[in-house]
Amino acid sequence: MKVFITDGTAEAFFTAVFDAYCERDCIISSDRQIQLALDSQTVCVDKDMQKCQRVLSAVENCDRYAADDLVLALRSCNPKKEQIAFDYIKKLLQIKRPIRKRLSLTEVIALNNLLYKVTGEAHRLKGLLRFMENADGILYAPYSPDNNITDILMRHFAERLKCERFVIHDVRRKIAGMYDGKSWIMGYADQAEICLSANEIAFVNLWKKYYKAVNIEERPHEKQMKGSMPVRYWKFLPEKQQ
Amino acid sequence: MLYNKNTNKCSRAVISGLPCAARAIFRRSYAITVEDFVLWKIMIDENKLKILTESAKYDVSCSSSGSKRANKAGGIGNGSVGGICHSFTPDGRCISLLKILMSNECVYDCEYCPNRCSVDVPRARLTPDEICELVINFYKRNYIEGLFLSSAVFESPNRTMELLCETMEKLRNVYNFNGYIHLKGIPHADGGIVMKAAKTVDRMSYNVELPSEQSLKLLAPQKTKQSLLLPMKSLSQAIEYDKQNKIRRGKVLPAGQTTQMIIGASPEPDGQILKLTEALYRNMDLRRVYYSSYVPVVQSNKLPAVGAGLLREHRLYQADWLIRFYGFNVNEICDENENLSPDYDPKCAWALRNMHLFPVEINTAPLETLLRVPGIGAKSAYRITEARRFAKLDFDNLAKMRIVLKRARHFITCKGKFYGSDSISQVRSSLLIAGAKDESEQLSMFSEPSTALSALTGEI
Repeated sequence: MKVFITDGTAEAFFTAVFDAYCERDCIISSDRQIQLALDSQTVCVDKDMQKCQRVLSAVENCDRYAADDLVLALRSCNPKKEQIAFDYIKKLLQIKRPIRKRLSLTEVIALNNLLYKVTGEAHRLKGLLRFMENADGILYAPYSPDNNITDILMRHFAERLKCERFVIHDVRRKIAGMYDGKSWIMGYADQAEICLSANEIAFVNLWKKYYKAVNIEERPHEKQMKGSMPVRYWKFLPEKQQ
Repeated sequence: MLYNKNTNKCSRAVISGLPCAARAIFRRSYAITVEDFVLWKIMIDENKLKILTESAKYDVSCSSSGSKRANKAGGIGNGSVGGICHSFTPDGRCISLLKILMSNECVYDCEYCPNRCSVDVPRARLTPDEICELVINFYKRNYIEGLFLSSAVFESPNRTMELLCETMEKLRNVYNFNGYIHLKGIPHADGGIVMKAAKTVDRMSYNVELPSEQSLKLLAPQKTKQSLLLPMKSLSQAIEYDKQNKIRRGKVLPAGQTTQMIIGASPEPDGQILKLTEALYRNMDLRRVYYSSYVPVVQSNKLPAVGAGLLREHRLYQADWLIRFYGFNVNEICDENENLSPDYDPKCAWALRNMHLFPVEINTAPLETLLRVPGIGAKSAYRITEARRFAKLDFDNLAKMRIVLKRARHFITCKGKFYGSDSISQVRSSLLIAGAKDESEQLSMFSEPSTALSALTGEI
């Protein structure tokens, strides 16, 4: 059995699909700690734009929205994401029509579950991201999401805070999106040193005060709160710091 | 003052590891205008914020959905049509909007209200500028999705509404805020001012407060049914006008109107409340009716000493959803003088009363019928109707598609096969157990028949 190892990018994945499509029994993964079977043979795949293009056009011939879905699913933190996407492509090319509505197929269910997790977290973090203002008026938001969604958030906030300058920093993956008031770019960012603006602490305190005051103590329902706002996100929420 | 802390310290941010191009972006824009510092001096006092938030927190509505207001050039913010929750409080409610009163100095004397004029509580008032500053700064840090502004009636209804309206216009035009705004209407205020305010905000609401005119007269003597319903009607006509004339820009209230009523402070049964709800949805074209279960914060001999409980509120919301999204009539859910059953959710209760309509075949039943199966909601019904176009579905398919079958299995067949319990009493007891949260009780002669049955069958 062949195991195709990619570097985690979408291009490398599509290249791997090109190589793996004709194999009878193979796995695609970007997980370096994958458990290998005894007879397995690993192949490291580097991205090849030509192969990638050919796979993409084959996919688009069947369903012109499928490529977007696949790219979105590949942002997931699920270690099996490449295999799930690969299975979906195989099914798609076998049926040769859009399969997104065939909701009882296992391949579609698996891909939809990935999409649900990714878009769900992106939506949740549109609310739970917290900016702090530095001395120059630049807004800085550190966070550590499960899935790789920083550029989805960049798009949202670039539309919303059009005249501000801001940085969204994924601390776990060490990447940051930066917006300068006109356009945004993504880049590598290890550590950030922030000097807060004069008002920052005062507004954080006001927000904490507000958070405390708006709660109705006679109706406690902690479970609901933790369900909607999981504890792993609390690290970056000022209202949850003492 | 608070803002004075570290004013002189202004070093720049160093973000190591960024590509050079990115660093250049930040270096380019280092100038701080003096204006900024002048503006930020209008910082609101912490205590004022506390008083005015605590007075506003019993308002239930906090949704930010329904408006897709675009970002205007040079402005801040936009509307998100699905709504965004920004935080959750330990009572399980979401914080989407900054919910505050402009003032809690009230001339009215509503029996249930903690801010009524006859009680001695600390009072506070905010200026329009203070509110705008707070909103912009909270919004920038992504704490909130917008503003929910309400107010007690100070001086006169017209004066209050005027100041609210002024705040709205300032926020939109001077501060260039394009985020979501929900404004409370003040009863008895002049129609002209209300319309002026309605043009700037996304949603407005007049609270009907209590489910009947008698209760309103008893508990909120200064408010009349007319003072609440007439402005609601004229706003809904204005919205209707925009819809008819296909007005795209500067629509009145793009997110429509809502209202709220207190449950359990007055003796009306659920049937009557739901009847009123349905009428409001039909005649006023409301987006939501909110129910707030009565919490005894105020001592009064006209009010009950105990709260209504959260279960009743929950059941009312379930029935509300059935009316809006599932094609149910109020008469089907509940009789006018009855309360909703606490044991079963309203859809289950309806299905148990109408067992002759079930089971339905999953592969052929129309959408309207699927929506009436207990346990199958709008999403599941959609999934089923889409999936069955390509392949016949069996029970395992449904389970894999994450359709909750705990309740539904008693009411459906898959490819003609039935997977539920045979007798209605068995269905009844298993539904009761499916919904109940571990409320085991000792069997006695006076137990409910369903409990007795579960003891006999041994099914938990």
